[in-house]
Amino acid sequence: MNLQQYKDIFLNGLWKQNAGIVQLLGLCPLLAVSSTVVNGVSLGLATTLVMTLSSGSIAPIRSYVPNEIRIPVFILIIAVLVTVVQYLMNAYMYGLFVVLGIFIPLIVTNCIVLARVEAFASKNDALSSALDGFAMGLGLTAVLGVLGAMRELIGKGTLFSGIDLALGDSAKDLVLHVIPNYHGFLIAILPPGAFIGLGCIIAWKNWLSLRAAKKRKDVIAPAPIDGGCSPATH
Amino acid sequence: MWSSPFITTPTSVSQIMLRVLLALIPGIALYVWYFGPAILVSLTLASITALATEAIMLKLRNRPLKPFLSDNSALITGWLLALSIPALAPWWLIVVGTAFGIVIAKHLYGGLGNNVFNPAMIGYAVLIISFPAHMTHWISPNTLGGIGLSFVEQLNYTFNGVLPGGLKLDAVTMATPLDTLKTQLHLGLSVDVIRDMPIFGYLGGKGGEMVAIGFAVGGAYLLLTRVISWVIPATYLGTLFAIAAIFHLADPAHYVAPLFHWFSGAAMLGAFFIYTDPIGSPTTHRGQVIYAAGAALLTYLIRTFGGFPDGVAFAAVLMNICVPLIDAYSQPKVFGKKGDGK
Amino acid sequence: MKRIARSTLQTAVNLVFFAVIGTAILASTYFMTHDAIVKSEQAEKMKLITQIVPPTMFDNDIIHDTISIPADPLLNNDDTTLAYRARLKGEPSAVVLEAIAPDGYSGKIFLILAVHANGELAGVRVVTHKETPGLGDYIDIQKSPWIKNFDGKSRALYKDDDWKVKKDGGKFDYMAGATITPRAVVKAAHKALMYFDANRDKLFAENAAKTEETK
Repeated sequence: MNLQQYKDIFLNGLWKQNAGIVQLLGLCPLLAVSSTVVNGVSLGLATTLVMTLSSGSIAPIRSYVPNEIRIPVFILIIAVLVTVVQYLMNAYMYGLFVVLGIFIPLIVTNCIVLARVEAFASKNDALSSALDGFAMGLGLTAVLGVLGAMRELIGKGTLFSGIDLALGDSAKDLVLHVIPNYHGFLIAILPPGAFIGLGCIIAWKNWLSLRAAKKRKDVIAPAPIDGGCSPATH
Repeated sequence: MWSSPFITTPTSVSQIMLRVLLALIPGIALYVWYFGPAILVSLTLASITALATEAIMLKLRNRPLKPFLSDNSALITGWLLALSIPALAPWWLIVVGTAFGIVIAKHLYGGLGNNVFNPAMIGYAVLIISFPAHMTHWISPNTLGGIGLSFVEQLNYTFNGVLPGGLKLDAVTMATPLDTLKTQLHLGLSVDVIRDMPIFGYLGGKGGEMVAIGFAVGGAYLLLTRVISWVIPATYLGTLFAIAAIFHLADPAHYVAPLFHWFSGAAMLGAFFIYTDPIGSPTTHRGQVIYAAGAALLTYLIRTFGGFPDGVAFAAVLMNICVPLIDAYSQPKVFGKKGDGK
Repeated sequence: MKRIARSTLQTAVNLVFFAVIGTAILASTYFMTHDAIVKSEQAEKMKLITQIVPPTMFDNDIIHDTISIPADPLLNNDDTTLAYRARLKGEPSAVVLEAIAPDGYSGKIFLILAVHANGELAGVRVVTHKETPGLGDYIDIQKSPWIKNFDGKSRALYKDDDWKVKKDGGKFDYMAGATITPRAVVKAAHKALMYFDANRDKLFAENAAKTEETK
């Protein structure tokens, strides 16, 4: 493995194959907890931690696991790691643990975790697998953060509300009231806002990719990405 | 993607839309008569917003401005939305709703003819979910003898949020008859006791029932000039009547008479102006019957058992999304196609 | 045949091996974090209680000075709940009760209330509710200070007839457009005070088990 390959892995996870807006995996937590920046980024980081550890720990043992039972073993390892993260958050970040609620244990069922283990970690060495899990998780965290910022800003006119849950009561001053005396635009905070917001981010990413492709005049056109929002896919 | 067979050339679209606008006039006139001129302010705001957002979106999408702007479809969206929400409201309420309908529900889906949902009803849904408190303040009809606001006083509230003489919003507004019926039933009163309350008239709510008749008259004009077919209005009103009658006959103390459902809320507006929108409704008669009957059932269920005051808009949005499915299953068999199996 | 049996056994051993390692990791994390979890859960409960019972009002271990009270129609609860007792120098100063307002706009509203020993409300908080966002949710302290209206109110201050929203001729404010929600909360708070008046001595009684132990 040379440096260029590591760079490619990193770029893939963060942008080219972004879990949230290109692979469209792990949408359930993405839509459910992205109502604020803090919620989105916290769950994203928890998922990143689980993905790094699971990919990194499964890669070195992949040759010892018989093919027939590889899925149960992978799930077992992921579940153990998620539960460890859950205990740690319960103990040291109780407020956030209550806010994120069921979505922490549900990281186990987030298909992006198993997908990366299956697609990457079971075929590569430990270091690049850990990097892949980390980059993919970070990509998801970025989308969660951006979506959370959009929804929080439009919905409540603030940024970083609830940061005291993650960093302790002293962080309360970090909450930005971007728009003072804001009426609130509730739909952004409610589930429809998550769908509309994600649709816009995907559209933006597709637009950027298409434009880049046009500039390069690539012979190979980028595969159309199903955005789910446009009726043109009917 | 599908296109509607009703639309042939741009000129006929603009003529049809113009007739629809004309047909709304009797209802609007009665609205002004019973509730004061505030509705004219929100209709104006809606028209300006609709045309402005339509022009901006056309420009962004590199489409020619003139043929699309003059087809009047954006105006209909604005007017339908203005007629569906309280007239006495801060100016930004109707602006946000109309802009959302035109930008997101119409142009992001590909503009007129490609929109899955009725843009006005999406605007309504967004407003009632985002600003439920503002959506409950309906002007009391002036026949109730309450405090009537002058035009200037209404303008002052719309743009500055100030009511004259320290009046509270409660003094000039009320919950809709449908909403009142629901909350009073919730408190354990029976239908006939509630119907004796002063806000109710012969058919629906005082004032509101007359506006509904005005919309029905406009609808009749649309039927006569063949702008709309009779299938959707007849099926919608017939089904709504039938369901309401069944419940009413089974338990008159808890379920209000079918005529009340016809002349309250947006039922008449829906029957003639919303569900008949050719873009969001099925193409075949069979499909239209299924569509209108489903809309009536949903309207009744949401009104009677749901958490929202009226069900017309949500029924429209929910049935809009079923249209491709209805179309797929209600197409007549093509002659000579295999699979008839005789 | 033998080969199949052997490979099956190998697979099973393999799975068991990973299961054992996983269990070991989980068990050790559990023991390592257990104390911290209990501590942060108690701190959170304490935070909720001190919101409505100021810390100056008690010097006892309020989290462990509890009494279980059976379901009662005045509290509208279906199960036994715990009441926390605040005492200052051994004298009862307040009690924290759980109550349910069953007739919210969209279902039950769960409340906790703190009542001073003299029958005055120290504070009320909504724990969970399903009221319409933007309309009925102003009962939540996160959304508006409305719920603080109850601070210091008692049945001695307001006659039973005054425990209504202003629209119904009572003394409590409400926001236009949403009267069902505050109506339900006011009613529940009033009934909880009636429960307190009827059961005052029982609520502050020393734990029977505890007193016997000390004997």
